Amino acid sequence: MDDTRISLAHGNGGRFMRELIENVFARHFANPLLDVQADAAVLPPVAGELMMTTDGFTVQPLEFPGGDIGALAVHGTVNDLAVAGARPLYLSLGAIIEEGLDIAQLERIAASIAAAAQAAGVRIVAGDTKVVGRGEGGGLYLAATGVGVRESAVALGMARIQPGDAVLVSGPVGDHGVAVMLAREQFGLRGAVRSDAASVYPLTAAVSAMDGLRFMRDPTRGGLATVAHEISRAGGWELRLRQADIPVRAAVRTVCDMLGYDPLYLACEGRVVAVIDAAQAETALAAWRRLPQGQGAARIGSVRQGPARVVLETGCGGERLLDELEDDPLPRIC
Amino acid sequence: MRAAPDSGEAAHVWAVGGQVQGVGFRPFVYRLAQRFRLNGWVRNRSGHVDIFTQGNAQALVAFGEALFTEAPPLAQPQLLASDPAPCRPLAGFTILASEEGGKTAARLPPDMPVCDDCLRELHDPAGRRYRYPFINCTQCGPRYTIIARLPYDRPHTTLAGFPLCADCRREYEDPRDRRFHAQPLACPRCGPQLTFSVPGEPPLAETATALAAVVAALRAGVVVAVKGVGGYHLLCDAQQTAAVERLRQTKPRPHKPLAVMYPPDAGLARLRRDVWLTGEEEARLRDSARPIVLAAKRPAAALSPAIAPGVNDIGVLLPYSPLHHLLLEDFGGPLVATSGNIGGEPVLTANGDAERRLGRVAGAFLHHNRPIQRPADDSVYRVIAGAARPLRLGRGVAPLELTLPFERARPLLAVGGHLKNTLALAWGRRVVISPHIGDLDTVRGRETFVQTAADLQALYGVRAEAVACDAHPGYAATRWAKDSGLPMVSVWHHFAHASALAGEYPEIGEWLVFTWDGAGYGADGALWGGEALLGAPRRWRRAATFRPFFLPGGERAAREPWRSGAALAWEAGLTWDGLPEGGALLHDAWRRRVNCSRTSAVGRLFDAAAALAGLLREASFEGQGGMWLEAACGSEAAPIALPLGKNGAGAWQSDWSPLLPLLLDSGRAVGEKAAIFHASLAYALLAQARAARREHPIDAVGLSGGVFQNRRLTEQAAGLLAADGFSVRLARRLPCNDGGLCFGQLIEAGNG
Repeated sequence: MDDTRISLAHGNGGRFMRELIENVFARHFANPLLDVQADAAVLPPVAGELMMTTDGFTVQPLEFPGGDIGALAVHGTVNDLAVAGARPLYLSLGAIIEEGLDIAQLERIAASIAAAAQAAGVRIVAGDTKVVGRGEGGGLYLAATGVGVRESAVALGMARIQPGDAVLVSGPVGDHGVAVMLAREQFGLRGAVRSDAASVYPLTAAVSAMDGLRFMRDPTRGGLATVAHEISRAGGWELRLRQADIPVRAAVRTVCDMLGYDPLYLACEGRVVAVIDAAQAETALAAWRRLPQGQGAARIGSVRQGPARVVLETGCGGERLLDELEDDPLPRIC
Repeated sequence: MRAAPDSGEAAHVWAVGGQVQGVGFRPFVYRLAQRFRLNGWVRNRSGHVDIFTQGNAQALVAFGEALFTEAPPLAQPQLLASDPAPCRPLAGFTILASEEGGKTAARLPPDMPVCDDCLRELHDPAGRRYRYPFINCTQCGPRYTIIARLPYDRPHTTLAGFPLCADCRREYEDPRDRRFHAQPLACPRCGPQLTFSVPGEPPLAETATALAAVVAALRAGVVVAVKGVGGYHLLCDAQQTAAVERLRQTKPRPHKPLAVMYPPDAGLARLRRDVWLTGEEEARLRDSARPIVLAAKRPAAALSPAIAPGVNDIGVLLPYSPLHHLLLEDFGGPLVATSGNIGGEPVLTANGDAERRLGRVAGAFLHHNRPIQRPADDSVYRVIAGAARPLRLGRGVAPLELTLPFERARPLLAVGGHLKNTLALAWGRRVVISPHIGDLDTVRGRETFVQTAADLQALYGVRAEAVACDAHPGYAATRWAKDSGLPMVSVWHHFAHASALAGEYPEIGEWLVFTWDGAGYGADGALWGGEALLGAPRRWRRAATFRPFFLPGGERAAREPWRSGAALAWEAGLTWDGLPEGGALLHDAWRRRVNCSRTSAVGRLFDAAAALAGLLREASFEGQGGMWLEAACGSEAAPIALPLGKNGAGAWQSDWSPLLPLLLDSGRAVGEKAAIFHASLAYALLAQARAARREHPIDAVGLSGGVFQNRRLTEQAAGLLAADGFSVRLARRLPCNDGGLCFGQLIEAGNG
């Protein structure tokens, strides 16, 4: 058999599986709390409220400029904790591997997971692997659960949002969506745009002590426009976004213009959208801009009394409605 | 007691329906009764008028005739019932108080241009309404745009806040006066007033001063936002290119033709210097809608070339309100008069909104304080194949009432398309179609859509129990229909285009309708727009189409004709050196079908031809590629035959590919390419019709969809069809573009 690729034997509970776990996962993830022999991890007592989240990762391709599925699993989970106002502490990881996956690629991804976890200051304390037959999975799926402790001064939530609040974004939008799309389609421009995948904890930590902070979210699937819709719907608010103020990288803009995509609907993996008391908006922006990740932060809009809708103020005085994303958007105006 | 049979006395009752309210019909009946010395009464009653007359038997007959032959110009009386009645003790003739009943028979009249009588008073220095911009009577003035609710009485209009002075009150209450019950009645003492304002300066609130200031501003080249009947216009001197360019840059509206309003001189001398006007065009220009009419510009027209770059027709119109009369007379020359809005949204109506939204476009504002209840943009007509066809229903035409060819059991609201949206409400055999609403991606478009849907139902007292909408799930109107919770009929875009036409000609049983447009969601998931549909409403099937191609870049293709050009070149395996930077990435995406929709739309073929022929790469307004290509046409040219064969689904399919070498040939003039392209499509249409006729008995051929706003193509195709024995039908009452979709949707919904 081809020992450079994953076989069903890697999932049968025997020697192959033990070697895979020891050589690939345990080696990279090694930390004092991770015991591959144990059924459950023992975690030290924590002062404060625990917060927990879980997520699944199925991105294609598995590796793309600026990241891979492993780094994405760490960042996606960490970020869900961070935007909720928590300091991320621990992760568990489940890997569902498709028969035939290149073991060298799996190693690269494991190393990437480890690096991402270290950079984010979290430890991987539990894990699991399963192998599915050829054609039953997309090479590798990951499932992650994260645990953190609440740091924010208040319990953040959409219910705290008030009319007059400001809407901020921590940096340019659409990078991840464009990077993955270019990689997936193997376009010639591959590499022109890198995913923004990163832990947003430094960003959230920089503002979480502010009492005017209402709500934060990382605009992943569906992008900024979808987060705006979630906010609008939750409280019946009108969200006004100023198109000229929404940061979009020139390369992302070029690709989107050419292929006919709207960057406002494309995923980010290292950005934060925050709603904050307008009086504290500039302070928060300044705090973000002091961080390497937050240099492109911008105040992009405001919250108003309903009707519940998302309005994009375009450059020339136009007011367009941003609709909710369709599953399979068909051109309407050709 | 006069009821003595031997004296020749008799009595008769009439019930008269149709357009008889808000048009001076009761005072007319009163005067008629006086003339024939009849006693009795007249009364408004739930949408019709009841009349009881008693007197000389011969006079009664004459009265009955005169009721219809001498009715006021705006009235369209229809006899509902006419019966002899027993004589009663009666003296004199009276107008009885209205009887409020069910509202469903009522009619909401459109806005009317100032009548000749009021115009005379407007110019009479001795009259008390001399140069008063809001003069009106029962025969003229605003209606649809001021009525808050029915019945149509002053307290239910936006004039409610203007109590009548003693003089106006006397006219209002005198049955012999033409202002008897003229609800928007006004005079300088008690009515609305003008205010001229320049941002940052104190406003001029005196009407005469304001008028003088506007004219001075226009002369100085300022763009002025002027509040009219159905909304604001942006006006500027049509001969000052700097002013027109500034309007274009700030609106922004780089290329789309601007309408021009002309002074109302008797022979239209000034207008005729700039355009050629056919009899049909002139008649439409002067009719009660006072619409914008597209007319051929003379080469020597004394107009800024920035009015309508790239096209040969310009939209012209005449003043319709007293305010516009005064403005144009005082200014003495043509004025650009374009909708006061941003993008494709409905025209702005509120003073504050206008200042806030148009501040960067207009240097000055002429406001008035008569509120506009709902927007109505100017109507637009183009004479095609011998008749004026509406391109946009608006002020003066809409709400447009039509009769359904069937009786609807449940009231239905048809919500139309995504751009150029209009709504239709149907109940019984009645259909009322809203004025043009506009682009539903805009905030104002969406708000006006919701308001109009609610208003139509409230005004007519009809509550929709079902909705009809386009099958496209992403249309705002379709989403609204889903959210309404009402039973929903989903109609394919091109079936609606075909049925909108068929609904205008209910006598025709079997059709072949060419539905050519920019693209709509088709039954096979592709973007249709080059389809010939066979059958009749509710049983259309695709008889012919065009070779499909893949349009790269989603909705951007509508604004960037070069994408259609590239798509055809790639599909045909040709190289085209007209790609912009980054075109290779798009080619990659096209090969992989990333964000590429399959389409057969003729509108996109026009875009492609315009781009490949080098006319334009990007469009700043919908249909620009087709319009510029039409305008570029040289003299008549021989067509290139497009191969016709059956596709996999059994439909006839024309192949556009033989046109590409012509379009890409750098040795031939654009005018020749454009002419051959038009001719080739017209002949392809004929070939499809003939092929379909070999298989099915077809007589009536319809042309529907936005592509048939193209006069060159439409007239050539219609001529070829007629010469080949087909009877050709085009829309007469409704736009053939998406503005007619709502009517087609409700025809498709049928009587359920």
